[in-house]
Amino acid sequence: MPQANAFRFRRGDFVAVAFVFLCALALSAGLWMHRGPSDAVMAQIYQDGTLIEEIPLTGNRTLTVTGSYTNVITVADGKIAVTSTDCPGEDCRHTGWIHVAGGSIVCLPNRVEIRLVGDGGVDAVVG
Amino acid sequence: MTKTKQLALSAVLVALALGLSYLERFLPLQLLIPLPGVKLGLANIVTMMALYFLSGKIAFSVLVVRCLLGSLFGGGLTGLAMSLTGGVFAFFTMILAKKLPFLSIFGVSILGAAAHNCGQVCAAAALLYSGYTFAYLPFLLLLSIPSGLLTGTVSAAAFRTLRSVFPTAVTISSDTMK
Repeated sequence: MPQANAFRFRRGDFVAVAFVFLCALALSAGLWMHRGPSDAVMAQIYQDGTLIEEIPLTGNRTLTVTGSYTNVITVADGKIAVTSTDCPGEDCRHTGWIHVAGGSIVCLPNRVEIRLVGDGGVDAVVG
Repeated sequence: MTKTKQLALSAVLVALALGLSYLERFLPLQLLIPLPGVKLGLANIVTMMALYFLSGKIAFSVLVVRCLLGSLFGGGLTGLAMSLTGGVFAFFTMILAKKLPFLSIFGVSILGAAAHNCGQVCAAAALLYSGYTFAYLPFLLLLSIPSGLLTGTVSAAAFRTLRSVFPTAVTISSDTMK
């Protein structure tokens, strides 16, 4: 039977804080060890889990991906971003410009994922 | 509690949870922290209140109905998969965490928020057929500490208010899944 003091912050709650913190730390350490350290050379664009386009991160170009929604993807100066979208929330556009290998931009409503790969390819990031 | 009272109370809780999720959409948290899936998780306050004052069974049905209706109002099937997976993960974590004697509602709420994020990342990974989404999880886990503290604070404040307004009506539920 929980007591009324179940509604006051207790010392034991630091266990929960520490647990979540350590999980985050362990996970990021694990991911960090597997990351591709370099600038990305290629962007792979996936929709519904299938590779629909592979573009080098050189020059300037734009690309439009349609689906449930429309994402406009722009490449400039070795970086890539979703510059315009009509999906709800616009999380993909808010992610901004990315350039590090292993980075990704996700548009969940449109089931689109942009992955950046370096020389090592995809497996360099998450095993 | 009679069946009718229970049904009415559950309906009020569902409405409250939907209202809180809707309210949350107007908070521009994404601009502050541009990661997909970042939110305060205000609707979790309702799950926690149901868990502490009613029963696990009611809390679970409120959660499921809230997710189903929420997806009708906006979010669609993707939204449903995300919120339901996150919600169910959070629910079972909180049921277990509530049994730990050294945790208050704050600890339970933090663990629930963290589990919600784990569930959402799993759902996103399954939807996109991609393990890349797990790269977001450390950030989301760290953010679940302040958001869990926030929802815990609101729940605790709601409990104190309810107790002072209805001193006899508010009891803490001890059965978890009856």
